[in-house]
Amino acid sequence: MPDDVDERADIDELREQIEAASIESEEEAEQFRIQYLGRNQGAIPALFDQIGDLPPEERPEFGKRLNALKERAQERLDAAKARLKREEQAGGPDIDRTLPGRRGFRGSTHPLTQTLDEILRILQGLGFSTYEGPEIETDWHNFSALNFPPDHPARDMQDTFFLKDAPEGEEPRVLRTHTSPGQIRIMENQEPPIRVAVPGRVYRNEAISYKSFCLFHQVELLYVDEGVTMAQLKQVLYSLARALFGDDVTLRFRPSYFPFTEPSAEVDVWWADEESDDGGQWMEILGCGMVHPNVFEAVDVDPERYTGYAVGMGVERMAMLRHGIDDIRIFYENDVRFLDQF
Amino acid sequence: MDISFRWLSSYVEHDWTPKELAERLTMAGLEVETVEPVGQSLDGVVVGEVKTVRAHPNADRLVLCDVDLGDGDPSQIACGAPNVAEGQKVPVATVGTTLSLPDPDDPEKRKELTVEARELRGEASNGMICAEDELSLSDDHSGIMVLDDDAAVGTPFPDYLNAHGMPSTDAVLDIELTPNRPDAASHIGVARDVSALAKSELQRPEVETPSESGAVADQVTVNIEDETGCPRYVALRVRDVDVIESPLWLRRRLTAIGLQPRNHVVDVTNFVLHECGQPLHAFDLDAIADDTIVVRSTDAETTFTTLDDEERELPEDTLLICDAEKPVAVAGVMGGANSEVSTETTDVLIESAYFDPSTIRRTAKALDVQTDSSYRFERGVDRDGQVWAAARAAELIAELGGGTIVPGMVDAHPSPPDEKTVALRPDRLTQVLGTEVATDEVTRLLGAIGFEIEEGEDALHCTVPTWRPDVSIEEDLIEEVARLHGYDQIPEPERVPVPSRTPHQPPEETLERQARGLLKGLGYREIYTNSMLRLDRAERFNVPPAGSDRAPVVETKNPISEEMAALRPRLLPGTLEVMHHNRNHGQEALRVFEFGRVFRRATEDDAPIVPGYAEHPALLIALSGPHAPTGWDTEPRDADLFDLKGTVETLLDDLRVPDLALTPRDGDAGTNGTAPVTQHHIDVTAGDTPLGTVARIRNDVAADFDLDTPVFVAEFNWAALVDAAKAEQHRDYEPVSRFPVVDRDLAVLVHADQPVGPLQDTIRDAGAPLLRRVDVFDVYEGEGIDEDAKSVAFTLRFGADRTLTDEEVDGRIEAIVDRLDADHGARLRR
Repeated sequence: MPDDVDERADIDELREQIEAASIESEEEAEQFRIQYLGRNQGAIPALFDQIGDLPPEERPEFGKRLNALKERAQERLDAAKARLKREEQAGGPDIDRTLPGRRGFRGSTHPLTQTLDEILRILQGLGFSTYEGPEIETDWHNFSALNFPPDHPARDMQDTFFLKDAPEGEEPRVLRTHTSPGQIRIMENQEPPIRVAVPGRVYRNEAISYKSFCLFHQVELLYVDEGVTMAQLKQVLYSLARALFGDDVTLRFRPSYFPFTEPSAEVDVWWADEESDDGGQWMEILGCGMVHPNVFEAVDVDPERYTGYAVGMGVERMAMLRHGIDDIRIFYENDVRFLDQF
Repeated sequence: MDISFRWLSSYVEHDWTPKELAERLTMAGLEVETVEPVGQSLDGVVVGEVKTVRAHPNADRLVLCDVDLGDGDPSQIACGAPNVAEGQKVPVATVGTTLSLPDPDDPEKRKELTVEARELRGEASNGMICAEDELSLSDDHSGIMVLDDDAAVGTPFPDYLNAHGMPSTDAVLDIELTPNRPDAASHIGVARDVSALAKSELQRPEVETPSESGAVADQVTVNIEDETGCPRYVALRVRDVDVIESPLWLRRRLTAIGLQPRNHVVDVTNFVLHECGQPLHAFDLDAIADDTIVVRSTDAETTFTTLDDEERELPEDTLLICDAEKPVAVAGVMGGANSEVSTETTDVLIESAYFDPSTIRRTAKALDVQTDSSYRFERGVDRDGQVWAAARAAELIAELGGGTIVPGMVDAHPSPPDEKTVALRPDRLTQVLGTEVATDEVTRLLGAIGFEIEEGEDALHCTVPTWRPDVSIEEDLIEEVARLHGYDQIPEPERVPVPSRTPHQPPEETLERQARGLLKGLGYREIYTNSMLRLDRAERFNVPPAGSDRAPVVETKNPISEEMAALRPRLLPGTLEVMHHNRNHGQEALRVFEFGRVFRRATEDDAPIVPGYAEHPALLIALSGPHAPTGWDTEPRDADLFDLKGTVETLLDDLRVPDLALTPRDGDAGTNGTAPVTQHHIDVTAGDTPLGTVARIRNDVAADFDLDTPVFVAEFNWAALVDAAKAEQHRDYEPVSRFPVVDRDLAVLVHADQPVGPLQDTIRDAGAPLLRRVDVFDVYEGEGIDEDAKSVAFTLRFGADRTLTDEEVDGRIEAIVDRLDADHGARLRR
């Protein structure tokens, strides 16, 4: 086979190599330069050296092609070097940016905490301080001071857990059935004006079902001052309900009964439900009223000088309404798949 | 409490539908829970006359009747009722009428049927002669309903029923009665509120009240031995009574509100109870020894059989109605089987009494029964409603079943109460409500529900009606006015006053919120667990903190179940339950925290708010499973003690707990004989105050909860922690040094058993005052190191309010190395 064929083939092969060569780092760039353009062992200079071996009529053509290849190699090297320099200034070569990030575990606060925090945040804006009372209470704080007469059907409204081993000769000890004893504890220790929220856990000895659990959480509000009115009570409740459920919430304020308030009221929100015949239903969200004079007398506050309002609302009930939860027990199951939604 | 719409409407005129009425009542304080329609329209049912009755040629049990429906030719109708007879006026469902019939398969249900013209065994039948149950008028299916002889043929049957005062449809309102409203525990009681709301007169049936004494007083003796339990006892007598089934109107009244008709005497007493709220009892006077009633309390436990044939144990001090020899009724709760009215009875003694509410409540609770009677007595019936109710019942019993009312009555009423008057100041009304109600309106509203009002100088003097035991102070009257005037009339003010002081947020609250946020950020989930648990589990986990006595677990007297008999002495058992649940549901990484109260019986050292029991807020953080989420270059491993310790250090640092020390506790033994549930304890203290513990759950305990990866838990007394941290929450600014720092690394070789913590302490001590911080960056044992030695490498940072010289830093390093050598035998590794 004649030499000239060989050498022409060499150029084609070399061109393919040069085009395919990887130049992804300074080292590879240097290696490329030495391999193809290097004065001593470079493949292109080596071919230039062989020009003399060709028949004279082929030399111009061969030289022209070889020069073009040399320019192409130089061009690739220059482009790669420029690119590497740019990359170095920017922070390294491209990477697989579709790989997932290194994450920590996701944490969460409990939905009841979130609802309670929201309620307390709103109340703080409305000027309420916060106080927490004990969950184990005396019968006096939980009932008598709140105007529940002994042997009265009103006591049946709240099924009560009694504790064993109460100190001898003292009144029974109970798990508080509501946060209202907090009212008594505050008024025992502080002169009006009092404007306070009492959040906390309460207990009821009731059958456990999707709508009732043996314990739940309440927030109590108490405002005692000169000239406190039922109209003001309505205002604070409506403000709270609008903040929690939106400005267009429909509310009703209707008479009810609690031994420790007079007049007493309950507030319902209208809950739209397309499936229902009536297009929705009223859902009770809280009980409230004007502090009963007997309660003031139990804690030595002058009921002629002061009036006040008190409110008790269920945190679970609020959270269930806000999130569309239909079973109260799920709050206490703590399934991560539930907690993860909040 | 069920109220029949029709029944109620017979005492007061109004133009509301049942739903509208329910809404008005609810907004006036009688909360209507449900409104249930009852009955059916009966459109297409007409009055017919049975002209002829003849045998059905092909069926023994059927007859063929020609019935005149007033539309021309009589219709042939097949009928299977035993009582059908020529000349009867009967209700006929004409062809095309849809009825809702009792479902023979399920007495609770009904199913629809449209009457068609058809052939029955080869004979045409064009309609259906109906029984009462088929018309939803009663449960009676013994035969077809037979109407009054003078009923006009062809009259629509609903018109016939209306003319007899018993429309075919009704609605039942279920009222959730609040304990303060015994006055509304009857149809007239509710009607009284309706009369105020509808501005319409209350129409109470006219009753002739008997005079005291008379023949009854001569024949019957009433002796009240317990005047506290029974302030009043009225007795009437009806003789020569024929005890029969009640007429349809009366049965319909009772069935509408869910009562089963019995016989007309019993039905009348029930009717009057639900009419006016006064419970009555009818005795068979022949069963009453010596025609004598004695009201007394038991002085010892007694056995007594009530009319439901239950033998009941009556505790001491139960109020009883007795005759000359024996008990005949448990006062206010239930009559006795020995004196109940039956179809043989001819002589009826009607009891109408006022019993003391708490006495009846105690008895009903002790016997664990609630009857319509006890329900009303324990709330307080009309203090003066006894005579009217007894007379009303006597009239009805005599009217419906023959019999003669014996003139007069016994009215044992040793000390009638005084009238009660309460003053209502219009100014006070305005002041409490925050809106003005015109005095005319106040007078009208209170007048409509029975108050007599006399206008004084600056107050309305209101005489309280005897049926309102709940009204005794001015606020009670304010509530009456407000509820009838309408709470929705109370305006929502544009602006309200607020006390001029800054709301106070306790540090517990703010620090708790901060801790929650941080723990959430560190990948922990907040949980809420039950405060109540099994006693044996509570006992098992009731391991006291190091150095304190073991206080007993708190138990409830009346737990819902054994599963919840005790209060949690710590948060741990509830947390392990949650970890167990989630692991069972496929969660590998378990990272949780909880804030909650824990309880113990108080010991001498405690100063609890409520004497007898110590209660404090606690924080728990627990960890088990992978230390990090699965990742493409993350080396998987289970979380260990140092992961949790790191969380705790980060948290306590963030909360600025001062003088913090985490000290390993020697030994894993339980205290006071309690088997330990944890090991590898690290006690956390702030100065001298114990705050809590970080530990590993023992494997055998973890296994009880099916947890097969190591479980770590940190538990804190949150109150103690807040106490320690709260003083540090305010910070004064310290200038930041503007001089460079010097970093040096230092590696030492120590004995393999040497704990690292004390080395760090020594370095801090010897490096003072230039040493700013010291961190451990490597602990190494193995190749290149003596077998019983390890290498510990620290990185040290020095700084001061000036530029340090190399000599100064070298001097400190030298001092540190010397001290490490002297105190721990540490050699510098080169």
